[in-house]
Amino acid sequence: MKGISRRRLLASTASTFVLSGLVGGGRAIGATAPSGTTTPHPDTEWRYYAADQANTRYSPLDQINAANFNDLEVAWTFKTDALGARKEYQFESTPLLIKGRLFTTAGPRRDCIALDAATGELLWMHRLDEGARALNSPRQLSGHGVSYWTDGTKERILYVTTGYQLVSLDAATGQPDPEFGTNGIVDLKRDFDQEIDLVDSDVALHSTPMVVKDVVVVGAAHAAGDVPVTRHTVRGYVRGFDARTGRRKWIFHTIPLKGEYGYDTWLDGDADKATNGGAWAQMSADEELGLVYIPVELPTGDETGMYRRGDALFGESLVAVDIETGRRRWHYQMVHHGLWDRDVPCAPILCDIPHNGRIVKALAQPTKQAYLYVLDRTNGKPIWPIVERKVEKGDVPGEWYSPTQPVPSKPPAYDVQGVAIDDLIDFTPELRAQAVEFVKNYKIGPLFTPPVISKPGRWGTISAPGVQGGTNWPGGSYDPETHVVYVYSKTQPSLMGIVGNADPEVTESPFVHGVAGVTPRKMPLMGAESGGGDFRPPPPPPPRPGQKAGPPPGFLTVQGLPLLKPPYGRITAIDLTKGDIAWQAAHGETPDNIRNHPALKGLKIPRTGRPGNLGPLTTKTLVICGEAGFYTNEYGVRGAMLRAYDKATGMEKGAVYMPAPQSGSPMTYMLKGKQYLVVAIGGGNYSAELVAYRLPGKA
Amino acid sequence: MSERSKTHVRGVAALGTALLVLGGAIVHAQTSDRTVWTGVYTSDQAERGKAAYAEQCAACHGPTLAGIDVAPPLTGSAFLNNWNNTSAGDLFERIHTTMPQNNPGSLSGKTVSDIEAYMFQANGFPAGQTALPPSQPMMAGIKILATKPAG
Repeated sequence: MKGISRRRLLASTASTFVLSGLVGGGRAIGATAPSGTTTPHPDTEWRYYAADQANTRYSPLDQINAANFNDLEVAWTFKTDALGARKEYQFESTPLLIKGRLFTTAGPRRDCIALDAATGELLWMHRLDEGARALNSPRQLSGHGVSYWTDGTKERILYVTTGYQLVSLDAATGQPDPEFGTNGIVDLKRDFDQEIDLVDSDVALHSTPMVVKDVVVVGAAHAAGDVPVTRHTVRGYVRGFDARTGRRKWIFHTIPLKGEYGYDTWLDGDADKATNGGAWAQMSADEELGLVYIPVELPTGDETGMYRRGDALFGESLVAVDIETGRRRWHYQMVHHGLWDRDVPCAPILCDIPHNGRIVKALAQPTKQAYLYVLDRTNGKPIWPIVERKVEKGDVPGEWYSPTQPVPSKPPAYDVQGVAIDDLIDFTPELRAQAVEFVKNYKIGPLFTPPVISKPGRWGTISAPGVQGGTNWPGGSYDPETHVVYVYSKTQPSLMGIVGNADPEVTESPFVHGVAGVTPRKMPLMGAESGGGDFRPPPPPPPRPGQKAGPPPGFLTVQGLPLLKPPYGRITAIDLTKGDIAWQAAHGETPDNIRNHPALKGLKIPRTGRPGNLGPLTTKTLVICGEAGFYTNEYGVRGAMLRAYDKATGMEKGAVYMPAPQSGSPMTYMLKGKQYLVVAIGGGNYSAELVAYRLPGKA
Repeated sequence: MSERSKTHVRGVAALGTALLVLGGAIVHAQTSDRTVWTGVYTSDQAERGKAAYAEQCAACHGPTLAGIDVAPPLTGSAFLNNWNNTSAGDLFERIHTTMPQNNPGSLSGKTVSDIEAYMFQANGFPAGQTALPPSQPMMAGIKILATKPAG
């Protein structure tokens, strides 16, 4: 530390964090070596889901670099098949690394495990059989992982179970902490400022709790709201708990109560009856400012909002609350009265960036809509102007439409927004012509083109990005030395049509997301009481699709190929010193059905990338990210590649084989002189596995 | 052992060999050419599967199999490429053991194969005269190919 000059301090967010101890994650990377050590490669740690409280997913390690990436070998694998009653295929965790041990959730029951980070050997496992409570959960499977708390002596691993209980375990043994909650468990369905059923209620969480100082902050997630059976379910409030005792310290109402800030952004007291509005994404925190940054989703109705009229805070907003009290310090709403399912899906990245001659405490929020919102994190003010622009209204009876939406002036969008003819597939003139014909049966337009009533000949709005984004839950990565954000996004449009509903048993909403001619289906109820009462009958159902009305609706393909042109998945580097895109790279091998498609025979098609949900890792010189999908390689073997790019240029520097796609974002650590890369993989017919890579040679 | 017994043994052995050869021939015929493009389900089965899909799957995977926020699409490039060069049995196994997510293992083999038939239909694979069998080992030889093989 002695050698760090003041100039370098100012230039480096990471150094600033480390020296001032503002962000625990700073400790977690570079500063965890024992002081006075002389080893050239001191052990490092990874104490938070994305490396640190700032969510940078950054490590300054460089033993693995451009020159040797292709030499990486599998150090060990950990198959999760033995955990839970069946195999899992959707392993979204990023493990934590503390003192040579990895901690994660795994398996379909979401067991909590500790592994030897050098060998992958299982050290302990904690299992909670929650029976029907878990089966009814709207968030199944293993989730994003665990959190860590220490006071310097005690060490605790915290995780949220499938059935929505907060568990605190002794990191050494995996035994529940008897001083925390009741025998180590806090029932998150209690003390929630609402009475909900302990077994059936619609609330759970995939994200890891945010541990900041001695507070454990826990969000909430609910069943998807495309066809919400009722709007009378659960409110996704956020709570802070004492890390030592599990006592509730505070609660933040994501749907404001009467008299609270934001209540009057709802029309006619709609907030009184609203539910959902959860905070299902990862969070960030700044200990010095005393703030936790909470991404919030929509209240009930992902594409319809007739029961949540008005801007309806804190829907699709980022909210900064006080760590100790949970009181709102500021908020920023990214979509007013959202109709496109654009939940704020991931943690904002906290970054200290040079702007107008000074260092600004900023944050950068990746989103489903492919804007990176850059805000002053002390007050929520945009770093570059964000302008309210007029947007189109839709035609859904009873819907409320915001007249304007906020549009960032910088940085530019990092993926396709809206659909224009120029965005359509163009491998050949014939395919383009077919795509142009195809979209005549749909509504297309710029970002914020509203969903419309689905009918033959105009089946709905083709929305890009689609319901999954853009960017989704893994979030981005950030290099604090160069002030560059790296974020993966996909180009995968969704059909957003709205259909009338005549059956109050399916949903109490008269209009829901769907396609004309296909009867809306009841979504999993999760035990909620049906609201009834104010059901309004819809207009007559649209006629059945006729023979001449066009292609079957809902399949956004041309000759089986994606409707929009590639890349289908990309990594973008965004330079926050300028607010500009530094580079973009198509990420993911061209899929089999494109490489083998008869209409494309003889064409030389550049790598198309693949759609998925991926989080990149940034190191001293590389951006590292696995592929989102399987492909069949030149040896006829299925698999996916873990790729490394020069972080300055985006040029690919190496790739190693993985038997299945990346399902959880990679992390890295130095242990006994060896740098490891660990990534969760799985999908298709390949069950979940953690894979650790390192360079050849004796460990 | 009497002569007759020997003959009998030889006879049984010969029969066994014949069965093996015959069995081998059947297996050969089933495995070498059978892909999702050769008509491995029936239209009736896909119709049953459509109803079962609506009941068991549509809530999360969407009415048109296009997926929603929390569940992936079951048609189109993303689905086909992730399952390319696997088998109908692999897909059966995944559905049978893990779906539906709030009650995994609850669907009968017949229902799973019906749903799989509907998924094949939705992905543009042709119907045929033989239904998809209701168990994983019996459909392990049916290859999923994202694109139709030439010829």
